[in-house]
Amino acid sequence: MADYVAGGVPERLVPRTTEARNAREARLVAERRLGPSVAFWGMAMVIASEATLFGTFIGTYYYLRFSNAHWPPPGTPEPRVVVPLIMVGVLATTSLPMQLAAMAARRARLWAARLLLVWALVVQCGYLVYEIHDYVHQLRSSTPQDNAYSSIYYTLLGADHAHVAIGILFVVWLLWKLARGLTMYRLNAVQVVAFYWHAVNLLTLIVIGVVLSARL
Amino acid sequence: MSAAVYEERLERMWQSRPGVLGWVMTTDHKRIGLLYFWTTLVLFGAGGAEALVMRTQLIQPNQHVVGPSTYDQLFTMHGITMIFFFIIPMTTGAFGNYLLPLMLGARDMAFPRMNALSFWIFLGSGIFIYTSLFLGIAPNAGWFDYVPLASAKFDPGHAIDFYCLGIIFNGIPSSLTAANFIVTILKMRAPGMSFNRMPLFCFAFLAASWGLLFALPSLTADTIFLFLDRNIGTHFFDVARGGSTLLWQHLFWIFGHPEVYILIVPAFGIATEIIPAFTQRRVVAFPLVAVAELLVVFIGFGVWAHHMFATGMPTVTVVFFAAATAIVVIPSTIQVFAWCMTFVTGNARFKTPLLFIAGFIFMFVAGGLTGIMFIAVPFDQQVTDTYFIIAHFHYIIFGAAVFPIFGGMYFWFPKVTGKLYFERPGQISFWLIFLGTNLLFFPMHIVGLAGMTRRVYTYPAGLGWGPENLAESIGAYLTAFGIVLLFANLVVSYFRGLPAGPDPWHGATLEWTIPSPPPEYNFAVIPKVSSAYANWDYADREEDRQKLAQGVMVLEQGHEQPVSSPIDGWWAEIVEMPHDSPWPIVLALAMSVVFILLLLHLWMGVCFALAGIVLALLGWHGGEPQESEA
Repeated sequence: MADYVAGGVPERLVPRTTEARNAREARLVAERRLGPSVAFWGMAMVIASEATLFGTFIGTYYYLRFSNAHWPPPGTPEPRVVVPLIMVGVLATTSLPMQLAAMAARRARLWAARLLLVWALVVQCGYLVYEIHDYVHQLRSSTPQDNAYSSIYYTLLGADHAHVAIGILFVVWLLWKLARGLTMYRLNAVQVVAFYWHAVNLLTLIVIGVVLSARL
Repeated sequence: MSAAVYEERLERMWQSRPGVLGWVMTTDHKRIGLLYFWTTLVLFGAGGAEALVMRTQLIQPNQHVVGPSTYDQLFTMHGITMIFFFIIPMTTGAFGNYLLPLMLGARDMAFPRMNALSFWIFLGSGIFIYTSLFLGIAPNAGWFDYVPLASAKFDPGHAIDFYCLGIIFNGIPSSLTAANFIVTILKMRAPGMSFNRMPLFCFAFLAASWGLLFALPSLTADTIFLFLDRNIGTHFFDVARGGSTLLWQHLFWIFGHPEVYILIVPAFGIATEIIPAFTQRRVVAFPLVAVAELLVVFIGFGVWAHHMFATGMPTVTVVFFAAATAIVVIPSTIQVFAWCMTFVTGNARFKTPLLFIAGFIFMFVAGGLTGIMFIAVPFDQQVTDTYFIIAHFHYIIFGAAVFPIFGGMYFWFPKVTGKLYFERPGQISFWLIFLGTNLLFFPMHIVGLAGMTRRVYTYPAGLGWGPENLAESIGAYLTAFGIVLLFANLVVSYFRGLPAGPDPWHGATLEWTIPSPPPEYNFAVIPKVSSAYANWDYADREEDRQKLAQGVMVLEQGHEQPVSSPIDGWWAEIVEMPHDSPWPIVLALAMSVVFILLLLHLWMGVCFALAGIVLALLGWHGGEPQESEA
């Protein structure tokens, strides 16, 4: 019975995720599993969908840009360059602790994973707090109701900040989960959230690039 | 232990709660498929009733059954209903949900609770959009809702807000379902079912799901912009402040044209299941058909502007999109030839499902031919917004999407209910629907060429449109009668039909290897698959029966399901699937509250409802599958 082969793999070699109830077992299962988890594929779909949404926003940005003679229109302030670039650079560095946390979890190093997540969370929260402050501040000099430029500008940035906020909720939830030890489910979750953050960081870089292109 | 012991153990492990609670909390893909089926049928009835009222209005000149404002709401709701609330949820929601895991040899979808969530959000969105009709403020700017007509200036009130929010609302479950299907098809296949052993039905749903996943965000963005324009005061579509009205059309059709393929490709999948069963022959050119199914959706993303030839785009753009449209004919035609050759080289038994497929091929070719005519740009500009367009896309949408849906209802009725339908009334219903739809839609070509524009609530006498419109209306009643007969047949068969047994048609795929109706765990033994026509591989099926007696590949230790690698079908892991959960419906309720509050401009309330969504998600992920089933 145990040596029955299906899909090229003997049954005794196939890991049962039900077996993994602690860090050590989760590690063993993760090592024997072929390829990424189902959850990882699910997140890939979410990212594909969100990336397309942002693609549409960015397409709209350029469509409007090329149907306007002046971009941004006279009277609307141009986007600032230096501080947003620094901020997005800082945010992008969080891909490192997120990825390291996923690798630590896979090696069943629970404390390392927790600390790396806290590191990422602090930077991410700092970024979001600054960006919200900045967003509100900019709304004093121009509003989405001014013209098409400011409409798409605030929509694009707002959507990006929303994705950062969702990512922060993910990390907080992960820390809460990991406080009670590691299971296969949580190991998958760490990997998936790290994947989400790589996508959000890349998306933020692109969005900031698009927004700054108004200065060209 | 004997086979019965294993089956009983699986039964105990997988069964849902009894009664209504079992349906509310279910994560079983078959139950969710049936919930989708009943809900979309109700909505189909609503959309059909709207169509009948319109045809009654147009039966002769100068009719005043309904006034112009009601008529506007009727054609808008008819379009929205049939596309977003009938065909997509019927093909993906009902057929896909019910059948995909059965064909893949899986016990459930990749994300069973998300699947339930999709249904409950879909139900919420259906109720949401139909509330507008009962309040008399339904969307009234056509299903593609062009600005500036749909802007706050020309269409004040809540009608278009219902449209925007309803479309976003309805898009969420479609995206979730698409994601769920893709991951299910890639990961949940029975170990050993490599890509080339996957039934064509699954290729079709894979293609449609990719289409949905990548097309819907465009529509979502578009409706978000319109909602912001109308309610916040942004200027996306306001030319005076740097916006663009054509932007709406581009974004709409970047979604809208792939949408056409999203509607018909699942129907292609249904056809590629019915044809082998009733010709007892493998589909001709399997790899070509599989690739064509994927390709038709892929190329479908590059043809959107052919809906906009009359908007004054640059000539280069127009020519490019006309050429792209010509290219998309190729994969469509490959499939038509493959179906026809399977008919010719097989041993066709013209039972009702196959009749519907034959009708579908006829209608699809007829609608495709008028479609090709639009590539001739000057011709397209002549017939834009006339009944010629209506005739074309009803041939495609009714003929090529709904015919296979009806055929599929007959085909899988024995599998779902365990009863056989009555053949003679079934065939009569086919001929009524076939003749009815042709009588309904063919004269529209003629009045369209004669200049009758779409979306007019009535027309004066003396233009020579009277006889055709009369014929169309008679065709509409005939079609409706045929559809009523179809459902009457199925209802009577449900109570009086003969028992069907597991495999009344000698079908080709895995769902025919298991009892009808299928047990909740689908497969007692995870099936061995060595071709795309698994039910015809007798040695494999015999091996499965022996394995059940020995308890091999039964996976009865929990809510277990094997997971495979995406391409080759290597056995990757065994996962514990979630069971009944109250959270999907709670989350869908919270989401419905968000949309209602958005409609009412209660922004503070929206924040609270969003917090409710987060709480529901926390509850959802509170119990891990491994823990809850221990």
